[in-house]
Amino acid sequence: MVTIKLFGSLRLKSGCKGLEADVSTVKEACQALADSTNLQMKELKNCVVMINGRQSRFSSKIEDGSEVVFLAPAGGG
Amino acid sequence: MATKYGGYMGRVCMVDLSTGKVCDYPWSDEERRLFIGGKTMAAKILGDNITKDTKPLSEENMLVITTGPFTGTGTPSSSRFNISTLSPQTGIITSSNCGGNFGYYLKKAGFDALIIKGKAKAPLWLEIHNNSFKFHDARELWGMNTGKTQEVLDEVIKTGNGKTRKNGKIVIGPAGENMVRYASIVSNERLAGRGGTGAVMGYKNLKAVTVSGNHEIQVHDRKKLDKLNKSWFKYLKSHPLTGDQLPRLGTAGLVSTMQMRGQLSTKNYNYGQYDDFEKVNGELLAEEFNIVNKGCLSCPIKCARTVEVNGKAVKGPELETLGLLGGGILNSDMYSILKWNYELDELGMDSISAASTLAYAMEANEKGLWDNGLAFGQTDEISQVFDDIAHRRGIGDELANGSKWLSEKYGGKEFAIHSKGLELAAYEPRRSVGLGLGYAVSNRGGCHLNGGYMVLLEGLSLNVDQQNPHGKPDFTVMFQDLMEAVSSCGQCLFTTYAFFPAPLISHPNSWYTKAFCKSVPYLGPVLRMLNTFPQVACIHIPVLFNQSIALHHITGMPVTFGSFFKAGKRGYTLERHINTRFGISRKDDSLPSRLTDEPQIKGDEKTKVPLEPMKSVYYAARGWTSDGIPKPKTLRKLNLDGLASYEDTCKRFAEEKEGE
Repeated sequence: MVTIKLFGSLRLKSGCKGLEADVSTVKEACQALADSTNLQMKELKNCVVMINGRQSRFSSKIEDGSEVVFLAPAGGG
Repeated sequence: MATKYGGYMGRVCMVDLSTGKVCDYPWSDEERRLFIGGKTMAAKILGDNITKDTKPLSEENMLVITTGPFTGTGTPSSSRFNISTLSPQTGIITSSNCGGNFGYYLKKAGFDALIIKGKAKAPLWLEIHNNSFKFHDARELWGMNTGKTQEVLDEVIKTGNGKTRKNGKIVIGPAGENMVRYASIVSNERLAGRGGTGAVMGYKNLKAVTVSGNHEIQVHDRKKLDKLNKSWFKYLKSHPLTGDQLPRLGTAGLVSTMQMRGQLSTKNYNYGQYDDFEKVNGELLAEEFNIVNKGCLSCPIKCARTVEVNGKAVKGPELETLGLLGGGILNSDMYSILKWNYELDELGMDSISAASTLAYAMEANEKGLWDNGLAFGQTDEISQVFDDIAHRRGIGDELANGSKWLSEKYGGKEFAIHSKGLELAAYEPRRSVGLGLGYAVSNRGGCHLNGGYMVLLEGLSLNVDQQNPHGKPDFTVMFQDLMEAVSSCGQCLFTTYAFFPAPLISHPNSWYTKAFCKSVPYLGPVLRMLNTFPQVACIHIPVLFNQSIALHHITGMPVTFGSFFKAGKRGYTLERHINTRFGISRKDDSLPSRLTDEPQIKGDEKTKVPLEPMKSVYYAARGWTSDGIPKPKTLRKLNLDGLASYEDTCKRFAEEKEGE
């Protein structure tokens, strides 16, 4: 099982803080989010994705027990 | 009008509180063209009037309050005004920028800038309405918080029919009155927060200034400006940063990204990640605490939050406050941060310096250097501590002097997180080394914005290698100078985030974004050409950087992107040039050794700031000596070689008086 978390405007748009899913790639994690929220695959593909704190690719594999974070780009402070 | 240029009111007034005299300060069109306005104009005025012997808390020091030519013209996010002075916190020049409406009303009163010098014998407040200057007794206001003071002033400033006259205000609270070194000046809910401008106002016994009037702000070409503004508003609203992230989440939205990038200062910069960050991040603020978004005059971004504290709707915290009063002191209670943020505003105190000083004190206590009763994670008494600082009671009297002063007394300089005496914002520079350089070389001390804000590229918006120092000094110079020029116009720096084309931000996984991020370390030499010969860019960059076009439409000055960029460079170098009078050089462009010598991740030597090599490249890019002093040739190229000495300025005043 993988813990998926959403931050930034993605979380506000979808109203979803995250979910637990049985996925093994970032692509599958995107699909799991698209299935259970109003977020589109296209939107999710354009996110920064981090697996256990490391920036990853759409094709990256996810090990069981990992934390996957989806971030929208941010700026300004 | 005493100027041929639009956007300016053509007058600068100077008030001497010691004598009660008010006069016009000479400011020519040539100076308008070279120094534009805002912080650059203020630096020129300060540079012409202070000497190396001027003390921050003295009658000779000046508060120079300036607007820019954009202020009040309807240009996006252009209601900013600037307050510069010799800082009691750093001993060098500080410039503090503020939103709200004071700048607009200062221009409506007929002035581009207001200079305040001297010291009143007893507390007073100043009412400026058109050409009328009235000094009022402020003894009944002395001791009042900033909110109450503004309410009382609104009751006093009435028109003939009994209604409150539309006005702008600046006030100080107890922190300013008691000369807390990081006291702020407050305008509505906004603050000229950094550098202790409030303490200078308090020293001068000046509780408040109100401005109002009915002068028209005229521009050179209204039709073309309106057309430009229309498309500019549209672009800012469509950009992922200025149209989505900032309106939705405010600056607080950065907490989560900083956490993921290891850039969230935690436990006084011991770490770059905070386990409980989800209890103090922007998402939670937006979902559970934000009532409504607020913005300054003519701003499409509306980055400010409104939250409820004790049943009252008040301004919410910015990212820096959330970071430093959250993970910075190991506090995971969001409501407490909202409450302290409000209390600090009411007391008139900079939340960054207050929080960072508090974190230093907690660590000093933990290490047995100073028995002060403060501890990380223990937050019950923090409200009382802030109140004690503002009134200089008990340990508050020492905390009021800031972390630099405390570390010189109690030790622990390696964890007093400041540069040149000004505490750093919440971004941890060991995972954003370009920002580390910026913090160190920044003219006003440890400031992320004055430092060029490289963290935007190093993880927040783009994914440039956070640890690679190559190319960063040249980018820092460019961003510092562009931001200097934009600020001088009276426009909010947030508009500069739209400088990065939207696809670059909204498609972080695209080949072109990755290619740009990878190329940054190699772009240094290209930028060096532009940094050295800005005037060669005799073009405009429409859409991405409308500022130079707007400056032309507003003022009628001949402007290109290159000349605009050069004006920023002139301003930045001028501030440095003035600071060198106070002995500032390479040795002062420093960071605490925690950030330069101790890796953030144990065993990973890359996770510290390689400051000295970056400084050498930076000075070369700026045309400064290896000791960080602007070379005569550089000053000459920037029209700064003929800067007036103090004696010249006195002579100029004498001539002006004779001419009256």
